[in-house]
Amino acid sequence: MQAAAPQPVLQVQGLTTRFHTGHGTVHAVEDVSFEVRRGETLGLVGESGSGKSVTAMSLLNLVREPGRIEAGSILFGGRDILTLSNKELRGIRGNGLSMVFQDPMSSLNPIMRIGDQITEAIHGKGRTSAAQARERAVKLMKLVGIPDPALRLADYPHRFSGGMRQRVMIAMALANEPDVIIADEPTTALDVTVQAQILDVLADINRQLGTAIILITHNLGVVARSCDRVAVMYAGRIVEQARTTELFADPRHPYTQALLAATPRLLASRAHALMPIEGQPPNLTDTIPGCAFAPRCQFAHVACAQQPPTTQLGERRFACWKTAGGEPLPPLTRRSGQSLATAADSRDGSGATHALPIPASPAKLLEVRDLVVRFAVPSGSLNPFAAGRQLRAVDGVSFTLGHGETVGLVGESGCGKSSLGKALMGINPVAAGQVVFDGRDVTHLRGEQRQWVRRQLQMVFQDPMSALNPRMTVGDALAEPLIVHGLCKDAAQVRARVGELMQLVGLDRAAATRYPHEFSGGQRQRVVIARGLAVDPKLLVCDEAVAALDVSLQAQVINLLKDLQARLGLSMLFIGHDLASVRYVSDRILVMYLGQVVEEGPAETLTLQPQHPYTVSLLSAVPEPDPTIEATRQRVMLSGDLPSPIDPPSGCRFRTRCPVGPAYREGRERCITEPPALKPVGGSAGSKAACHFAGELTLAGATSSRAIPLLQPQDLTPI
Amino acid sequence: MSRRAVPKANPAARSAQGAPMSSASAADSALRRGLRRPRTVIGLGIVAVCVLLGLLAPVLSAHSPLDQSFGALQSLSLTHPLGTDELGRDLLARVLYGIRVDVVVAVVAIPLGALVGCTLGMLSANNRWYGTLLQRSFDLMLAFTALIMGMLIAALIGSGTPAVILTVALVNVPLFGRITRSAVMTQLSRDYAVAAEVLGVSRSRLMLRHILPNSVDALIVQAALSFSMAVFIEGAMSFVGIGVRPPDPSLGATLKASINFLGQTPAYSIAPMVVVTLLVLGFTLISDGLNQALLKR
Repeated sequence: MQAAAPQPVLQVQGLTTRFHTGHGTVHAVEDVSFEVRRGETLGLVGESGSGKSVTAMSLLNLVREPGRIEAGSILFGGRDILTLSNKELRGIRGNGLSMVFQDPMSSLNPIMRIGDQITEAIHGKGRTSAAQARERAVKLMKLVGIPDPALRLADYPHRFSGGMRQRVMIAMALANEPDVIIADEPTTALDVTVQAQILDVLADINRQLGTAIILITHNLGVVARSCDRVAVMYAGRIVEQARTTELFADPRHPYTQALLAATPRLLASRAHALMPIEGQPPNLTDTIPGCAFAPRCQFAHVACAQQPPTTQLGERRFACWKTAGGEPLPPLTRRSGQSLATAADSRDGSGATHALPIPASPAKLLEVRDLVVRFAVPSGSLNPFAAGRQLRAVDGVSFTLGHGETVGLVGESGCGKSSLGKALMGINPVAAGQVVFDGRDVTHLRGEQRQWVRRQLQMVFQDPMSALNPRMTVGDALAEPLIVHGLCKDAAQVRARVGELMQLVGLDRAAATRYPHEFSGGQRQRVVIARGLAVDPKLLVCDEAVAALDVSLQAQVINLLKDLQARLGLSMLFIGHDLASVRYVSDRILVMYLGQVVEEGPAETLTLQPQHPYTVSLLSAVPEPDPTIEATRQRVMLSGDLPSPIDPPSGCRFRTRCPVGPAYREGRERCITEPPALKPVGGSAGSKAACHFAGELTLAGATSSRAIPLLQPQDLTPI
Repeated sequence: MSRRAVPKANPAARSAQGAPMSSASAADSALRRGLRRPRTVIGLGIVAVCVLLGLLAPVLSAHSPLDQSFGALQSLSLTHPLGTDELGRDLLARVLYGIRVDVVVAVVAIPLGALVGCTLGMLSANNRWYGTLLQRSFDLMLAFTALIMGMLIAALIGSGTPAVILTVALVNVPLFGRITRSAVMTQLSRDYAVAAEVLGVSRSRLMLRHILPNSVDALIVQAALSFSMAVFIEGAMSFVGIGVRPPDPSLGATLKASINFLGQTPAYSIAPMVVVTLLVLGFTLISDGLNQALLKR
């Protein structure tokens, strides 16, 4: 096994990168060692601040002031990158090692044609004629699956969608046939269906050209889908590295184990409760003498005060005192009584209350009828009299929400889910339709009358940092709704209620005098939730409430929300793009596409037996954090991107991308001419889908289809 | 990339390194850091020395700035360290008392201009019609250079210190107005403003409790810049003869008078020139340092 492994192309030994700031030294990367072999995909996984991006920058010796690579070696092609001159480094960057960044918009020059940017990447390195370079640019664009490459060479970056831009970035990274591509969160800014496309492109390159890929990500599902081996980083160190299958099946470091337990899964039962990692990641300005994970670790004991040794077991390596002897980790147990959130978990874990839907009373709390939200879009024409166009962000959505019920609203960016949530809150104006809350039409309430709705309906925002006024203490922020609505008689009562709210979300009363920046991301989100609950609302609209949080904190907040709901009898509208977490919270799910609801149903039924082809594709695009499932899973690949909501397709809006639609099947003209209505489908009660051919495409029976065939490897001839 | 990744681990370092956040104590420490920057310190030092000289004028100079003597256009001597002007007045006294005039102009005019400008700026950020109207009037005001504006005002209310103050205030109105408007618009688009609206916070409370405290950084920087402008405008207006009325001492007027005697007593022009330059430089340095600490985070 060991002997058969190919030679490493890149070998990192004892890499240490530190940042010397005014606040002390940040130990971003400490003693990191790993290697990448030819034709292999290595996943570098970790939460934010774990040092994975700094590691990537260090590999190319691109660390900027005040950062410094202080120790270690990076061997590439027999030479240590850290000892090379700038000129030699330029020869390696792009040629031997190239990089793909997270944000494809800011990495491309907006005023330069795509063709010029790709050829520039080629030109800079060798002597090629313009015609040859152009020809090669076309080949590269074909390779990464950009349709009509020859025509698109002359386009500027803004003419490309996010996914297409990321393909361009990959094409540029490939321009000089590098041995290693470092992809730093290449799909994080993209929608899940586009993410699946990009991961496929990377996998094809890896397979066909034998290019080694270092895939940096926080998403364990992406790792399970794409990587041969994984290195898990925590607090600047690699705590464990192993083959992907081994790591997921039998983690040997408690952090890996805890991370896996905290990640929501799409295919597991909903009764399987999320287990958050308690506590916060350590502050990297402090020197941590022992194991950095020890304060959050269930298995920590006296020895953990010292840096654990690295154990080598076959091909895998891990640094933990508990497993140093070679035995596997015992299963995690739920800690009780630490916070309200965990208290709720233990209840969930013991009795399988989750499997049972929370008994929703038949009375409707919220009823939305044919809601339309429109935005005016500037015509973009120089003619001042040209008519502006209208973007129908939400186009005729109807649904109901019962007392004590949680409804999930999922869809990719631009589907109108946030616009819908904001319209309910009265932030976005409603162009048509009705919002009935508790039997009262609240659609167009303004001024004083609106205040009543504001006490019933509150909101939790995506980014807690931005949702809190940075110059107001947390206590003041919580007191504000109480004062504005006159809910408390005097200052003492306000203080008491603020303390109560802080405790409700598992924060210390004494922390009320602190400012938002003194809290961690997860704690800030608790404050935002507490503020929403201050007026004792009946319905909480959570707009991507956990999307900005790391996996371990995500689980904490999700559990808190579930717990609060059970204790306060809250109803929730949980808006999100991540099906796995939405499914975990919701009783019912609505799936939106281009401003319309395409499918609706009980959470379990919808995720296991989706009826609408879009739901099927969406579910199949979500990578499951389990490599064995990923290996056998059949996938439905959606081609292309979301059409413009300014000018949506006629008939069924999904038809341009639908795997069973007119683009792929004969005789489906009906999809083009007749918009499908949302009507009951399937066996289970409450399932509805808006599709003429609902149920035709299923998760199991779907076959993988690719719209743009990739070139064979021999097409990419070296120049 | 590395800048983004590292501070995440360290909330304290984050505010220092450029994440789009600011908060009361974070901003306070940014202000403190800004005040500790070398260029801010130098600027503050220069300004402090100049202001101190102005305040101590009666102590430092044995003469009154208005006392005439028979020795006109004397060169440097022990009785008259900077010499005398064409009317035999002590130049040291005139320069030192001149600084006082500049300080008074700046201290009265800038808060006035800032107050009016901020109020109009907030109004214009809240209402589209006001917004358009006010922004266009700001454009109009900016089209006049300070000196033209000064001449206009001097023509209306007569030349003198009040005219200088009014001019400085008026010149500052559109500057503060625009900055306030853009800062308010930026803050209004942030989630906490939306959250306040959702909570039912009234518009005026939203503006005063939430938006304004978060817009202050840009205003502080502008204020420092405005101080240097005030010195400059006073100098310019007095130089062309519509500023501080003779025989009151002023840096600009002294400079103007000195031009006629450049050939005879070059020392005459040097002192007012140096002081004006130092004051403008000092305030500009402060503004620059604060700008880097507060806004370019």
